[in-house]
Amino acid sequence: MATQETQILDNIIASRRALLVGGGAALAALAMPGIAHAASSTTGFGDTDILNFALNLEYLEANFYYLAAFGTNISSANTLYPTGAMVQGITGTGTQGTVLVKASPKVPFVNLSVASYAVETAIEEGKHVAFLRSTLGSAAVAQPQIDLTGGSSYGTTAAFNALASAAGIGSAFDPFASDANFLIGAYIFEDVGVTAYNGAAPLFTTGTTGKTYLAAAAGILAVEAYHAGLVRTTINALDPTGTLGYMTLTQQVSALRAKLALAAAPSPASVYDATPDDYGVTPGTITVSLGGGASVSRSQIVDADPTNVTAFSRSTTQVLNIVTGGGATTANTKATGVFFPNGLNGLIS
Amino acid sequence: MAGIGAAGATTALAGCGSSQPVITSTSTAVGDSDILNFALNLEYLEAQFYLHAATGSGLLATDIGSSPGTVTGGAQVTGLTSAQQNILNEIAYDEQQHVRFLRSALGSAAVAMPNIDIVNSFNALASAAGIGSSFNPYASFNSFLVGAFIFEDVGVTAYSGAAPLISTAGIAAGYLTAAAGIMAVEAYHAAYVRTALTAGAIALGTTAFPYLTYANQVSTLRASLGGGNETTLTIPSGTTSATSIVTPSAIVASTSANAIAYARTTDQVLHIVYGTANGSGVAKGGFFPNGLNGKISVTAS
Repeated sequence: MATQETQILDNIIASRRALLVGGGAALAALAMPGIAHAASSTTGFGDTDILNFALNLEYLEANFYYLAAFGTNISSANTLYPTGAMVQGITGTGTQGTVLVKASPKVPFVNLSVASYAVETAIEEGKHVAFLRSTLGSAAVAQPQIDLTGGSSYGTTAAFNALASAAGIGSAFDPFASDANFLIGAYIFEDVGVTAYNGAAPLFTTGTTGKTYLAAAAGILAVEAYHAGLVRTTINALDPTGTLGYMTLTQQVSALRAKLALAAAPSPASVYDATPDDYGVTPGTITVSLGGGASVSRSQIVDADPTNVTAFSRSTTQVLNIVTGGGATTANTKATGVFFPNGLNGLIS
Repeated sequence: MAGIGAAGATTALAGCGSSQPVITSTSTAVGDSDILNFALNLEYLEAQFYLHAATGSGLLATDIGSSPGTVTGGAQVTGLTSAQQNILNEIAYDEQQHVRFLRSALGSAAVAMPNIDIVNSFNALASAAGIGSSFNPYASFNSFLVGAFIFEDVGVTAYSGAAPLISTAGIAAGYLTAAAGIMAVEAYHAAYVRTALTAGAIALGTTAFPYLTYANQVSTLRASLGGGNETTLTIPSGTTSATSIVTPSAIVASTSANAIAYARTTDQVLHIVYGTANGSGVAKGGFFPNGLNGKISVTAS
């Protein structure tokens, strides 16, 4: 049931996205069918379901950053917590899970900036968990089972190893091993958060409550984009010419995300643009025309569509397919895999 | 024409005998195209600033409408590394494309570019912020970062504030997705600027690298004009050892309670870009010496 509804929502998003891709006058001219479609098919899905979908993703992100910055998960006390970091609740509806991770996951940072960014982001993602749980109250879902294992001491099914393998990075990847690995690990999550919130924004109801949620979701979306920009800027700064290979890694991760998103594109797939919906950091190999001038090269800090330069929007099924490493391509089946071995909690799963 | 802003709407409602609060009546009097045109004015400003900084010239005549205003000031930033030039080119391209996208979405309803000042405005702003009697954002890459800092977080708060104002029909038409997508890009830009300023201060210290302090002075000024809504840039303190970070950085500009990015009303944004303190009837100043074009151009409070 949930999957069917997810599919219906995906179709709505797809139709809206088609309008945007069409751009310009087509946008207004084609609007009416979209309204009719949306009004008749969103009845089974409420604001609560959308917020709980977001909460699952925030559980994932917050745990990753807490483990990297402090060495413990979000539900554990830790004397390393600076002001703003605190134990988060993880109870709620659905099956509560644990966080699978290596022993002593705190990243052995050598770069003060990167260490600081990890702490800042951990604090902010923790607050997102707290905010969503507080907003949802008794309707909040429990933290699902989360897998953050990776590295040579784990097998091929460990979350980061499976993703690394699929991305062509190698058979093992430990995001907690070093500053650079942490940044690449963070890179995997942040742009996905942007596209997920962007895709969810138009799904909220249009009454006062829905508008309040929309305002909050827009604010969280911006913060995810700040995080993504921070990570991408830092990777760009550490490897400005790409010789260290960090940029190539981001491109490989982006290519995998785009592939997984395309595999879960709503039907008919033709309404989705065939070009990638994800771009890694690049060392100025893209050329553009500024004003009336000749072509110049530019960097790729922003992950956005290259024509209108608006950040990408993904359907819930596309996001599910990314965070489960391809587990969401079978209709009417709960998506499971990589980061969420038992799937998400809540209706959108 | 530009006078039919928020103040005009209030008058119209008063004429109907309404006693409803001003804020409610003004937000309902403004349509989706007015919101997009408000955004278009801001994108004209950003695009002209970044294009000048990157190339020395601005938007094409075909991108600024019929009978457009003029641009005062603007210069190419020189002495850049290729990586720095690539960053300027990227942001300039992004803002240029936002102008084109919004103009395309608005079609014949798109407002022309108003008069834009990107030289005297910076001097006045620097003076008001206590940076000095003048400030040239085109003098160096780091000066450019401070100039960019002035715009980017404002763009985020403006789009965040506007998103819930878009009508149900506008949401179905894709306007919300477009606005949210542009907001995210502004946040990517803001993050770049804030990360670069913070990294510079970490590497050199705030004495040798005064630009972080300048940015925070700008932030204080924006807070006074734009209803608070600011997060001061912070140099992290602590070590990378087991005892770790005591105070982290503040790359993200968001509420300390929930880590949600700030949202500003159109009035608050107007006060910042006009560089004029709170009050109703402010119609021009700062970066827009003759005001914005379109319905949202005069402050209501």
